[in-house]
Amino acid sequence: MNTFEFFNQHFGRHLVSQEGEPYFAAYRALSSNHKLVKGTESRLASGWAIVRPSISSVQLKLAATGLRFDERTRIEAFMEEFEKWDGIEPRMFLMFDKAPIPLENLFLTVDRRLVRICSPAGVETFDINKAPTEESGGIQKAIWKRK
Amino acid sequence: MDGLLAALIFEQGGDLEKAHADIPLKNTNGLWHGSAAFFEKIDTEKKGFVANLHAGHDLDLDLVLKNKSGNVHRAIGLTRRRDYGAVFNSYRMYTANEITWYATGHREQIQSLLSEVEFIGKRRASGFGQVANLVIEDSDNDGVVGLFGEPLRPVPLEMFSGDKSSLRADAAWRPAYWHPMNRTVCYVPAQ
Repeated sequence: MNTFEFFNQHFGRHLVSQEGEPYFAAYRALSSNHKLVKGTESRLASGWAIVRPSISSVQLKLAATGLRFDERTRIEAFMEEFEKWDGIEPRMFLMFDKAPIPLENLFLTVDRRLVRICSPAGVETFDINKAPTEESGGIQKAIWKRK
Repeated sequence: MDGLLAALIFEQGGDLEKAHADIPLKNTNGLWHGSAAFFEKIDTEKKGFVANLHAGHDLDLDLVLKNKSGNVHRAIGLTRRRDYGAVFNSYRMYTANEITWYATGHREQIQSLLSEVEFIGKRRASGFGQVANLVIEDSDNDGVVGLFGEPLRPVPLEMFSGDKSSLRADAAWRPAYWHPMNRTVCYVPAQ
């Protein structure tokens, strides 16, 4: 299964129709407006999501039945996921912002030694078990600080 | 190595299909026997580049999303600097004395393609990645799996015969390496 098929199967299909190529469906999920619980619509323009083979979590209060609303901060959510994760079944760690996450920044994480946090600004890659260096990104530094 | 050779073939003829089909390396079920680049970095820093895109030259407005009345959302001028789209890109720059690739393929054709190369890498047009010298040597590595079973390049899980405790990642395993559709879960080099 490639990146987009995984994303659509466990996240995107709860938000948009799955017509056409998997990467178009993934693009629509990341860039379209979605209905919120309060009745208005919004893009995935803030918060975070963790895509799992079981039920995926998202911080935005979407009116999507197949996704779990989770109000933790992104650092809390990612950190606790790293602790619980078996390191075998794939995960996707997403951070949303004003601009949609470009498709080239979508990556599966399949190894605890090479975690990838996907955002519109880029992809932060690190080893969960290693201390951050000066060059490390903000998520790795924030998680390490809380350990 | 296959990505570099494909880029060099493309520069010669401008034919993308041919560039990806005529790489002079051994190919097994779509996997080219050319390794990733291995190097010892002696310094690293961030380099930023600002490009001012001239809308009339650089943007095809047919490809830009239109508003309800069928026009682009913001009028794009062609004369004033403020109408240009300034794009800032930053890159991680590594300094290295030498880069090593391992490969199985047609030695003379590879040598011929590489002999003309003066610069390699993403910012080669800006003077980075200058090539001073090129040496081709015999090796026991085939460009796919190293002597200790480690992956020398991204290899899809089902095609990998080496050490299964190696690092795994979602990675492109064939050119064009920038294209997300060429990605799958692979064993990848640790570097």
